[in-house]
Amino acid sequence: MQTHEIEDNEERFRRFSTYRIVEHLALIAVFVLLGMTGLPQKFHTVGLSQRVIHALGGIDSVRLLHHIGGVLFGGLLLQHIVVNAAGVLFLRWQPSMLIALKDSQDALQNVRYYLGLADGPARCGRYTYKEKCTYWLILIGAIQMVVTGLVLWFPVAVTSYLPGQVVPASKVIHTSEAMLIFLLVVTWHIYDSLLSPDVFPLNRSIFTGYLDRKRMKRLHPLELAQLTGETGDTDTPTDLSAGRDVARKPRLLGD
Amino acid sequence: MGNTGWMTAAVLVFLLTVAVPSGYCQEKATGDGKASCLKCHGGKSAAKKFADGDSVSTYVDPKAFDQSVHRSLRCTDCHREFSDQNHPDRSFRNKLQFRVRESRVCRDCHPDKALKARAVHEALLKKEKAGEAVLCTNCHDAHAIAPVAAGPSSTAETAACLGCHAKEKEMQFANGEALSIRVNPGEIMNSPHKSLGCSDCHFGFSPQEHPRKRFRSAREYRISSAEMCRRCHYDKYSKVSEGIHHAMLSVGRLDTPNCVDCHGGHTVVSLGKNRLGVVKKCQSCHGKVYEAYAQSVHGRALFNEDNRDVPICIDCHSSHNIADPAQAEFHNYIPDTCSTCHSNAALMGKYGLTTDVVKTYLSDFHGVTLSLYRKQPDKRYRQPNQAIAVCTDCHGTHDIARASGADTQALKSRLLKRCQSCHAGATENFPDAWLSHYRPSLTVAPLVFVSEKFYALLLPLVILGLLFQIGLDLWRYLVKR
Repeated sequence: MQTHEIEDNEERFRRFSTYRIVEHLALIAVFVLLGMTGLPQKFHTVGLSQRVIHALGGIDSVRLLHHIGGVLFGGLLLQHIVVNAAGVLFLRWQPSMLIALKDSQDALQNVRYYLGLADGPARCGRYTYKEKCTYWLILIGAIQMVVTGLVLWFPVAVTSYLPGQVVPASKVIHTSEAMLIFLLVVTWHIYDSLLSPDVFPLNRSIFTGYLDRKRMKRLHPLELAQLTGETGDTDTPTDLSAGRDVARKPRLLGD
Repeated sequence: MGNTGWMTAAVLVFLLTVAVPSGYCQEKATGDGKASCLKCHGGKSAAKKFADGDSVSTYVDPKAFDQSVHRSLRCTDCHREFSDQNHPDRSFRNKLQFRVRESRVCRDCHPDKALKARAVHEALLKKEKAGEAVLCTNCHDAHAIAPVAAGPSSTAETAACLGCHAKEKEMQFANGEALSIRVNPGEIMNSPHKSLGCSDCHFGFSPQEHPRKRFRSAREYRISSAEMCRRCHYDKYSKVSEGIHHAMLSVGRLDTPNCVDCHGGHTVVSLGKNRLGVVKKCQSCHGKVYEAYAQSVHGRALFNEDNRDVPICIDCHSSHNIADPAQAEFHNYIPDTCSTCHSNAALMGKYGLTTDVVKTYLSDFHGVTLSLYRKQPDKRYRQPNQAIAVCTDCHGTHDIARASGADTQALKSRLLKRCQSCHAGATENFPDAWLSHYRPSLTVAPLVFVSEKFYALLLPLVILGLLFQIGLDLWRYLVKR
C-alpha cells in the first residue's frame, strides 16, 4: 500500500497505514509501562528503583501493573502475528519484512562502504536489512518475553507439567531478554529513527504515515523506484502529469 | 653521740616538715566548728520538725563522719548558713523539701558534667530534668558519705541488717504464703554487687528506718523487688520495658520473668558469658522450645561440644528487649538474624559452610520482595499482604536441622508443605523452582546455567555490535561530508 501525493509543495509517500500507526503507538505505551514496572524489579537495589516502586504504590501494585502491561503486550503480539499472517496469506500483502538473500548482500555492501571499498551504501527496498534485523530480534524476543512471563506468573501450573528449574531459567531469560530488547530499542532504534544524521531530529513516518522524497530516496531508493519508476539516481520530482496512478487514497489497513 | 645527735636532728626536721601540714588538716576537720556543733547534734534526742508533723533526727554520728570521705571538711563547708554565732531557724513543709534543699549543696563540688561520667548518674540527671526529685543522699548518705562502691558505712549498715536477716525468719503475705528473710552474706560477697550496701538496693531501709510494706503474694513481692534494679541499670530496664515480657506483665501475667527471675537476687550474676546458663534460664518457662533447640544442629553443638559459635536464645531474640516473635516485623527480619552468622565468611569457613545461602536468598524472588517491602518509606506499606517465606519457614525455627546429609529428605518434604501453604496446588516439581541456595551449574539446574551463560555472551556482543555499527555509520557520514 504505497501512496504518493504532493502537499504544500512537498512530495510525500505513504508508507504506513493507520493500523500500523495505532499499533506502533500502542506498542510504545505498553513498552513504557513494562519498562517502568519491570526495570525497577530487575535493579531493585538501586535507589531510583525503590523510589519508583514507592511512587507506584509498592511492589504489589508494580507487579499488578506489570501483569496488566504483559497482558496488553501479549495481546498486541498475538494480533500482530494473526493479522499479518492473514494479510499475507489471504489479502496478498507483500511479505516485505521477510529476510531475503538481498539483505545479506546489502549488509555486505554496507560493510564495504564503511570500509571505503564501495562508493555508496546499499540501496534498500521497503525495509532495510537493519530494520528487518531489529524487527525480527524484537518479534522473537517478544514471544520469549510472553512465554517466560507466563511461566513466572503461573509457576504452580507450569511445574505441574515441567521441571522446577524452568521457573528460574525463565527468570533469567525474561530479565536478560528484556535487557536485550530494552538496549536494542534505546540504542539502535532510537539512533536509527531519531538521532541518525539521515533522519534527525525524528523520522516521523511511523506517526504520520508519510515519508518525504528526500528521505525516501536516501533510505528506501528501491521502494521509491518501484513506486515511481525512477531509478533513484536523480533528485528530479516525479512528473505527475505522466499519468501514473500514484495518488491512491491511503487505506486504513494494509501492509 | 655526735653521729646519733645529727641523725636525731634530721629526723626531727623531717617530722616537723611532714607533720605540720597533716596536723593542720586534722585541726581543720575537728576544729572549733565541729566540736561546737556536736554539742547539740551529738545527742540522739533532738529532732527537726516539719510543717506536716513529720520529723527527722538531728543526730550526727561523729564516728561515721570521721570515717567518711568528707572527714577533712568542716560542718559549715556544707551547712553554709550555720556557724557558732548564727543558727537560723528554717521551716520546711515536709521531709522531702528539707532533704532536697540539703542535697543541693553537693552539686557545688560535684557538678553535673563530672557526674555524667557514670551511667547511673546520667540516668538520674535525666530524671531530674524531667522534674523528679533526685537526692544524692538517697544513695550516698548525708554524713557517713561513702562512695557507693565500698565504704565503711555500708559495712556497718550490712552488719546492722544481718542482725535480723541472718536468722531464719519468715515474712508473711496476704494470701498466706511465707518467704524466708534469711540472707546468706556469702552469696552477696561472691556476686558483682559485693561492694554495695543493703540500702543501695533496698532503698528506704536503714538501721533507723524499716518501713512496713504489704504484698498480696510472694510473687508480687518479687516483682516489686525487681524494680530496685532500675536505679542503677536504667538502660537495661528501659530495654526490658520495650519487650514482650514487660508487655505481658502489664496485662496482668505476673508469671512473666523479671530481672530477679533471670539474674537472681542476692546471688545476682551476669549471664552473658555463661551461654549454657542462659539457655537453661529460658528453659524454665520455654520447655518445649528448649527440647526442640537441644535436638537442633545448633543445640547439639552447644550441649555436646560446648561450641561457643552457635546461637543461643538471646542471640536471635536478644536478651532484654525481646520482641514478640509472632509479630510480622520479627518474621520479616529473620534473614538479618540468620545472616549475622551465615554471612560471616570466616565463621562459616570453620564449618565448611558457604555464605552463598544469604546471597542466594536475597537475590531470589522471596528475598527481593521482602527487601522491597522493608524499604518502603511509609510504614503502612511495610507489611506484605501475605507472609513471605524466610529462612525459618523452610529450615525450622528452633529445630533447625543440618541441610545436607541424612535429613535432606525430611527437609524436602517439609519444603513442599511449606510451599503449598502459600502456593496452593504446588506439585513435587515446584520446590525445584527454588535452587536450594545452589548457584546454577551444569550439574545443578543446567537450564538456568546455560541461559545465564548464553545471555552473558549475547548481551555484550549485541550491544557492542550495535554501538560499532552506529560508530561506523556516523564516521562514514562525516567522511562523506
